[in-house]
Amino acid sequence: MSINQLIFRNLKKNLKNYYLYVFALIFSAALYFAFVTLQYDPAMDPTKGSIKGAAAIKAASILLVAIVSIFIFYANTIFIKRRSKEIGLFQLIGMTKNKIFNILIVENFFLYFGSLFLGIFAGFSVSKLIIMILFKITGVEGIATLRLSTNALIQTLIVFCAIYLFIMSMNYVFIKRQSILSLFAVKSSTEAKIKKVSILEMIIGIAGIGFILIGYYISSKLFGGDFVTMNELLIAMVIILASVIVGTYLFYKGSVSFIFHIIRKKKNGYLNINEVLSLSTIMFRMKSNAVLLTVITTVSALAIGLLSLSYISYYSAEKSAENYVPAEFSITNIEDAKRFKEALLAKDIKYSEEIIDVIQVDVNVENILDMSMEGMLVDPNLMTLAVISEKSTKDTQLSPGETLFTGYSDVNQKFMPLDDSGSIELKSQHEVIPQQLVGLKKDTIVSGFFSYGGLPVAIVDETVFQRLKDDLDPSIQKKASVYIGIDILDQDQIKAANDIFKEIGFTNIKSYDSRLETSNYQKQNMGLMMFVVGFLGLTFLITSGCILYFKQMDESEDERPSYTILRKLGFTQGDLIKGIQVKQVFNFGIPLVVGLCHSYFAVQSGWFFFGSELWTPMILVMVLYTGLYSIFGVLSVLHYKKVIKEAL
Amino acid sequence: MVILEANKIHKSYGNKFNKQEVLSGLDMVIEEGEFVSIMGASGSGKTTLLNVLSSIDKISNGTITIQGTEISQMKEKELAEFRKNHLGFVFQDYNLLDTLTVKENILLPLSITKMPKKEANQKFVEVATELGIYDVKDKYPNQISGGQKQRTSAARAFIHEPSIIFADEPTGALDSKSASDLLNKLSELNLKRKATIVMVTHDPVAASYCSRVIFIKDGRIYTQLNKGEETRQTFFKDIMKTQGVLGGVQNEH
Repeated sequence: MSINQLIFRNLKKNLKNYYLYVFALIFSAALYFAFVTLQYDPAMDPTKGSIKGAAAIKAASILLVAIVSIFIFYANTIFIKRRSKEIGLFQLIGMTKNKIFNILIVENFFLYFGSLFLGIFAGFSVSKLIIMILFKITGVEGIATLRLSTNALIQTLIVFCAIYLFIMSMNYVFIKRQSILSLFAVKSSTEAKIKKVSILEMIIGIAGIGFILIGYYISSKLFGGDFVTMNELLIAMVIILASVIVGTYLFYKGSVSFIFHIIRKKKNGYLNINEVLSLSTIMFRMKSNAVLLTVITTVSALAIGLLSLSYISYYSAEKSAENYVPAEFSITNIEDAKRFKEALLAKDIKYSEEIIDVIQVDVNVENILDMSMEGMLVDPNLMTLAVISEKSTKDTQLSPGETLFTGYSDVNQKFMPLDDSGSIELKSQHEVIPQQLVGLKKDTIVSGFFSYGGLPVAIVDETVFQRLKDDLDPSIQKKASVYIGIDILDQDQIKAANDIFKEIGFTNIKSYDSRLETSNYQKQNMGLMMFVVGFLGLTFLITSGCILYFKQMDESEDERPSYTILRKLGFTQGDLIKGIQVKQVFNFGIPLVVGLCHSYFAVQSGWFFFGSELWTPMILVMVLYTGLYSIFGVLSVLHYKKVIKEAL
Repeated sequence: MVILEANKIHKSYGNKFNKQEVLSGLDMVIEEGEFVSIMGASGSGKTTLLNVLSSIDKISNGTITIQGTEISQMKEKELAEFRKNHLGFVFQDYNLLDTLTVKENILLPLSITKMPKKEANQKFVEVATELGIYDVKDKYPNQISGGQKQRTSAARAFIHEPSIIFADEPTGALDSKSASDLLNKLSELNLKRKATIVMVTHDPVAASYCSRVIFIKDGRIYTQLNKGEETRQTFFKDIMKTQGVLGGVQNEH
């Protein structure tokens, strides 16, 4: 048999045995190509919008390369490990290592590039679907056309060629370093030696849990007012990241086996079949895979966290727009408002209108501030706030000495916690008017233009308002001092009204706002973010799921002799499967639960920057992630079923 | 009392065109409390015989009855049930689970039968002391010697007091000291617990510990030797002689 024949036969055989490697390749290639196609597609331009969007996509594509290469490397290590016996055999019959390596190169070349082209084809077919989804969520209207981009093709080929070269050099090192004997024995030597749980391990175990808890604790305090300067915040974030990641690593290294050890100790040697198959093996295997599991957990936590955050902001786009623009349209010039109203009437659109005088006043809030403002940019003695009269509101009644803050948002609460009562001072140009704060309300009354995007707005008694108005400090006043809020009575006509708003050219004036525009703008921005993050999240979900699944396939081969013993002892296949199910719940469940916990605390610490709804979007993302992730667990159980059946 | 009876068992491998008959109409009876060894050259069918007797492999023809139950017709599930209650195994390569401690390995068969913990523990202490492995009960298999591993394996076979224990070359991987230790323990347990043991071996020394030796050749019983009142030494010599006659390759003129 010539070498070529040998290669050909090997290829045929391996295609059947290592369909997973092929699958990993096709999948990665498809994913990458689809993404790069999007990157180069002119239809994407409107969604990219700004430089920021393009940069996000670019960064994502780099991250994608990293994920994809890790994934392929991992698949390759399993692949070559499984073939070690064959390589040993070739050496035994007198082939040189170089010759074997040549065979591997040629064989892999066909396998690799065959799957690569299949993958590119698949990626090309789904890219239209993907772009349609993107348009849907960003609200951009466009027609997705299927177009093969040469740029994308070249980029994909370059990236995958580089990965191929890297894999081959990995294989080369692997072959060079191994002796014939070790190649025959490689299967059994991959897992760490089983030892008793030592004191050191217990310490590691406890430390792991401790580190994670410390990280969680600091993250819950992160924006609670304990860290105020930028530097402190940065240090706190680095500490959180470090302690959680180190904690996760130690958790896999020690805590899992430590906890399982305690459970086992309690059983005093009398383990039932579920425990034999789950506790005892996981205890030892988690340890040897600590790094891999830490990476998987951290990145899934990252994926879930980012997905939750971007979905939170997408989900609450309308609500945040409402906070920023309290009426459907806000205009700050009487003349312009008149023009707009006339245009509305001409189109027969009914509206209601609200006119509020707004002035800017320096307020001393030092007494009611719940934290020290040292190092912050704002001076609490001189905080410029918008002030309106009680007359402009419908249901507020204040006496001359009282002030009410409204528009006090969640972000304010975190960054500038205020007491809901206390003494403050309103400073006009020449006098200082002492006031008593009587409450904090969340409703917004005037648009974000007046309240610096989200600071509270003070409501004062009419007489005080007049006093302030007569003695204004001109240097802090805005260009406009009147807010005109226009609400459209018929919800169905909002879009038409918005078109008029655009037609007159009001969208270009900074101080005029349309709620619909604001909401759309945020949706478009966050939609792209969500899409990019979602794409990466999904990629990561699938790759980490696949890696865990590959690992389980590998493990099932290693454990086959155990199943033989157990079946000889009289355990039925059903007994074993039940035990395996428990094992897989742990194997897949532990990284998932740890990842979910991490992301929960991450989201919890900073979600209020992104939107106003926490639970619905976060839980939705988590449930979806868990669901997709479980598929791999189920697949692995099915694989075990096959192995167990063949074991006796 | 007869504990195992095999009647005209046939076992062949391969397909219609390429059939390899390993057992050809073998009969065998084993009484309760016997310590029987099965000997024969490589390829004579010893291990296949042990596998079919112990229900791990199916026979092509014939019947096998253990304690009055015919096992050759049982379904997979019934067989598992049967194995867990009536059979014990000792293998050449120990077949211990690496991830379990010695104690956990030994208690494994009891956990299937759902025996109360206290009772199980008592049984464990008994059998582990008898086999001299109580001290290593909390160690993992890769921390103990081959002899200890094999005794652990034996303890696992004995603990649930099965009707019959099958041992496949139990001394195959042991040095001579550990081997004689193990065999001594096995015959002790055989006497003390009235345990029935069927052992496959090609080592005449190991066979000389038994009360009866069955020689197999080409899938049939060639001859049997009974120890009777003989000493182990003279029995060993008899076995050697028979083995010499049995030979490996037939000398055809």
